[in-house]
Amino acid sequence: MVFWSETCSHCIRYDVYLNSFSDSHPEISLVAVASRQGENLGQIRATVAARNLRFPIFHDSGGSVARQWFTQQTPRAFLIDMERRLLYRGAIDNFKYPQDPEYGAYLEPAIEAYLAGRPIERKETASFGCAVESVYYILPKALA
Amino acid sequence: MPNLFDSMFHISSRIAEAGILAMNSAMATMQSAIGRVAGQDPPRPPDKPPLNGPATLDDATADFSNRLLRIGRTTQNKPEAVQSLLRSVLDAFNKSFGGLEIRDLRQWMALPFQLPLSFGTLLAQQSLRALYTAQVVGPQNLAHFAPYMLDTFTDIHVVVSLQYKEQIQIYREHLSRFPEDSDTRLLLGKEYIKLGLYLEGSRELVEAARNPALHSEALSESAVANYRAGNFNRAIEDGVAALEALPGDDRTRYWVWLAAQKLGGYPDFVPENARIEVRAGRHRPKVEFQEVATKIGLDKTSAGRGTAIFDMDGDGYLDIVISSGHGGCNLYRNNGDGTFADVTVGSGLDECVNTFIIAVGDYNNDGLDDLYITRLGFYVGESVLYRNNGDGTFTDVTKEAGVGCWGPSFTCHWVDYDCDGFLDLFVANNFAGVFDRKNPNRLFHNNKDGTFTEVSEQAGLSTLHPTIGSAWGDYDNDGYPDLFLSSGLGRSQLFHNNGDGTFTDVSRKAGIDDICFGGISLWCDYDNDGWLDLVQFIWSLEEDVLHTLIHGDGPAQGKPMRIYHNNRDGTFTKLDRELGLNGCWGTMSGNAGDFNNDGYIDFLLGNGDPHMNRTEPSIILEYDGDGNYHNVTFAAGLPYTGKGHGANMADLAGDGRLCLIISSGGAYPGDLLTTSVFRPKVLPGNYLNVRLVGTRSNRNAIGARLKLDAGGRSQHRLVSSGSAFGCLPYEQHFGLADLSQIEALEILWPSGLRQRIERPPVNTTIRIVEGRAGCEEVYKNKPLQLIAGNQS
Repeated sequence: MVFWSETCSHCIRYDVYLNSFSDSHPEISLVAVASRQGENLGQIRATVAARNLRFPIFHDSGGSVARQWFTQQTPRAFLIDMERRLLYRGAIDNFKYPQDPEYGAYLEPAIEAYLAGRPIERKETASFGCAVESVYYILPKALA
Repeated sequence: MPNLFDSMFHISSRIAEAGILAMNSAMATMQSAIGRVAGQDPPRPPDKPPLNGPATLDDATADFSNRLLRIGRTTQNKPEAVQSLLRSVLDAFNKSFGGLEIRDLRQWMALPFQLPLSFGTLLAQQSLRALYTAQVVGPQNLAHFAPYMLDTFTDIHVVVSLQYKEQIQIYREHLSRFPEDSDTRLLLGKEYIKLGLYLEGSRELVEAARNPALHSEALSESAVANYRAGNFNRAIEDGVAALEALPGDDRTRYWVWLAAQKLGGYPDFVPENARIEVRAGRHRPKVEFQEVATKIGLDKTSAGRGTAIFDMDGDGYLDIVISSGHGGCNLYRNNGDGTFADVTVGSGLDECVNTFIIAVGDYNNDGLDDLYITRLGFYVGESVLYRNNGDGTFTDVTKEAGVGCWGPSFTCHWVDYDCDGFLDLFVANNFAGVFDRKNPNRLFHNNKDGTFTEVSEQAGLSTLHPTIGSAWGDYDNDGYPDLFLSSGLGRSQLFHNNGDGTFTDVSRKAGIDDICFGGISLWCDYDNDGWLDLVQFIWSLEEDVLHTLIHGDGPAQGKPMRIYHNNRDGTFTKLDRELGLNGCWGTMSGNAGDFNNDGYIDFLLGNGDPHMNRTEPSIILEYDGDGNYHNVTFAAGLPYTGKGHGANMADLAGDGRLCLIISSGGAYPGDLLTTSVFRPKVLPGNYLNVRLVGTRSNRNAIGARLKLDAGGRSQHRLVSSGSAFGCLPYEQHFGLADLSQIEALEILWPSGLRQRIERPPVNTTIRIVEGRAGCEEVYKNKPLQLIAGNQS
């Protein structure tokens, strides 16, 4: 489960990853949850069409799911097993720019360890991205 | 020696400044007199966000001016754009003035008189800033500098409200109608870079570069885009092509050099005039560092902002909170072995998004450190007070405590300014937009019952100068902490604490009223003479920074960071190059501490600015105890790039090695960086860490002074949060070099009590309780399991 937003510029970087997720991990289902304050279904549909997104997206109008899941920013990933146990929570990776020597994936190693029956080394990382709720989204806008 | 032109300019500036201040004051007085006649309530500093738009006339005129500026910068110079321009102006007027509450006919009648006065005071304050800017950068550089800053100030609102998609849409629609408009294409390319879409950005920039007038700028930006995308060869090619058209462009040369470092050196095709050498930061260090953030679990990737280091749960170990410009705060608990667990979720701090500077203080003296957090800095935000519940959770008590503050808040400090044993709160406010007015600084007095009363006005701390840095320290040793304000664009100010709840501006008398791009600041006794000196970090122009990197020191007209040396008579002497502080850096955060354990205070500077084409290393300066600071940065193992916020120092593993912690990242979503922790490779010398617990004084002992006598000389420390950006731990770190014995440690508590510990131990961390004899070792009963490599 990945908390996601059609406006979030950080999420754009994961379009390819999320689009190909079901191909690379056929044994794991993926669902994105759009919880950002003020984000409506029409905007989400337009973005899905414009960016050709192929993963399922739930609209969490009002952001209650994000609050229940302690999620303040997008993207934020949760890996959950069949018994609904939380296996990993946090950022997908620490992507900053291509070919970053410090690049480190977080979600993929957790998936790999889980599927291999090994303990997951890093179960929690700090998320980064755009705020799900912010007073700045409801202040008068700079642009019309 | 200043030339005749400079002297004339300086004198005429002083006269112009006095005239503008007088005009501003007269207009403000008239406006408020009209307001009284019309039955208006006197304006109060805002404590909550104006969701319906500006609530006062002064805020509305400022908001409208900012919107007009933004419209002017983004509207294309085409006849076809006139209609949309008029629509935008009308819309801006509605947004700016639509939230005004005008209650009756009298107030409507007052409006035609107040409106021009309001615009008048706004104009006066802008004129003042323009005058100050001209003094700092030189009148001849204003035309170059103004657009550089406007770019940032007109953009922030779009970024924080996540409107970049709309902005890109505006550019794209325009380009679909006017595909040859390369000015707009350049803006679009830069916008993509801000979002981290580097290849899309480069594509537009290369296209824009077909216009000869934009050729060098567009290719230089494309070099930045390609460097950030990891295409280092392409970055060098674009950079070299840009330099052919503009050979003197050091910024592009620096990006080419950075790309060449990634490839192991310059490729053969790079001509000689496109090459540089970085000469700064090569002095031999006393200690070398290794980066351990990932190893110890502090590798938070984000738009990192403030850091605060404190013991959140009373277990003795130092924990960390790191704020973030885009997402939420993260709380890390020390596992007791120098590694950290992310315990953010459910702590309450995770709900605190868009955060900036953190101040740690036990305001209710319950033994648990509480947090005050400002938001966003260069954009207005709602500060928040979190009470520590002691169980890993924090509760937002801003409203009941009465410390709400809505504004462009920068540094915040806990300080017991009246020495009553309870911490008071100070919040420094800047300005947020080009046409914003100075937002008042706020001083909140602790009522000792969990609530606060605002006393800023009666304390005499009003100022027109926008404040970034603030620092509290008792410079005249009269027992009461005094206040220094560092202005980002105005005069530095020193306020003497009169001891009766009021302050007196003594800036001119003290010799501290310089005009500069003042950054964060701190008090410390760098020369260990028992009198606090003042350290003011400076935000320098990019060209001065590049000059420093390439030549090893800043240009003659540059303004390096300075130490105001305390003359012990209420006056100070400004020292910079005299102390070897000859580098110019765009310092955003910084702190002081003896990281090489040689007994002298060193500095850590976190540098940069929001522009995507500006990257700047964090810098470390070692003091040799003999009147010279040395830049040892790269020789000590720190990297060449960065955007350093929340620069902090702490002995995270309790083993005497002061780590450098830098929470990095820029304003734009494409400018992500990872928090760095640089740890000394070896223990560079003996040490003693001291923690104080106040009983009559405030529990954190903020404001306490320490004197350690060892080896025939004294070291002096002040318990403070340092520059606040980051918030230093209150644990005091003394380096002892090869000394293995301390004669005595003396403490002067804020309550006035003097306490002396004879022969305290060495190479350990001790706790001293006010009024209680002796000391105890913090880690004695629960020794740290030292992290790997610790024993080396």
